[in-house]
Amino acid sequence: MATTTATITLSSADLLSDNLSLSATQTLHKAGTTTGLDGIQYERLEVPAGDVYDIVDATTAGANKANKVYIANKHTDETKYIDVYVAALNIGRLYAGDWMFIPLEAAAATQDIGVEAISAAQVVEFALVHEGKTLVAS
Amino acid sequence: MATTTATITLASADIADNALSISNTMTMTTAGTTTGLAETTGLARIKMESTTLTDLITVANVSGFTAAKSAKVYIKNTGTATDKYAIIGIGDSSGTPTTIGRLYGGDWMLFPWDGNSGEDVTIDMSDATATIIEYMVFFE
Repeated sequence: MATTTATITLSSADLLSDNLSLSATQTLHKAGTTTGLDGIQYERLEVPAGDVYDIVDATTAGANKANKVYIANKHTDETKYIDVYVAALNIGRLYAGDWMFIPLEAAAATQDIGVEAISAAQVVEFALVHEGKTLVAS
Repeated sequence: MATTTATITLASADIADNALSISNTMTMTTAGTTTGLAETTGLARIKMESTTLTDLITVANVSGFTAAKSAKVYIKNTGTATDKYAIIGIGDSSGTPTTIGRLYGGDWMLFPWDGNSGEDVTIDMSDATATIIEYMVFFE
């Protein structure tokens, strides 16, 4: 059993009339347990423009679990972004320098996570912390 | 213009032979610019005590929200039960939202949100036990 934590800190001195200072830490557990997630996939790749590419495949072994996904757009031009898809739905844009962290239900084989680089190829980093992944026989 | 930052630290000493240590800070800016996002819902807390699929954040209720920009949504399940969860999705609670994933007790998430028409943020609790959900939207 591994112990993996994810901490977020949200800060601003001028978004509100008072300081915003929010911090939260979660320990990444297997679904419904206090046992740590023990599988990981961590990659960095260049996503070409012009199509949606799956970077995280939903597989049977990971379905309906407590998988977590981190994605970061490592591009540096603030005008560029990637669209992030869950299944066939474009949920939002990650502009250059942005990151996201979500749980992934992966209830069906179609519930992959895809990204589309808009107007230029962009470098993306992602990590999938999971409790199971169905391997494809060679 | 405001300056709002979000930092993530993803760390483990034993998930692999070598330690995992990912740290990343983003400054939340308006779409395609270096100007900071200046609007927020503020941090909201809502008590969920039903297993009925419902809208947690409705696009139409976020005053001044512009769709398909660089909005971000933070959600946390403040519960402590690690066997109870909130299913977060995108869509309309009267239809069949696209499921993103489960927030177990103590879990949080941060994601970009296009928030086009019909793309509300939905929630479906696994259990009717009263649970406080916190959320915050940063938008333009």
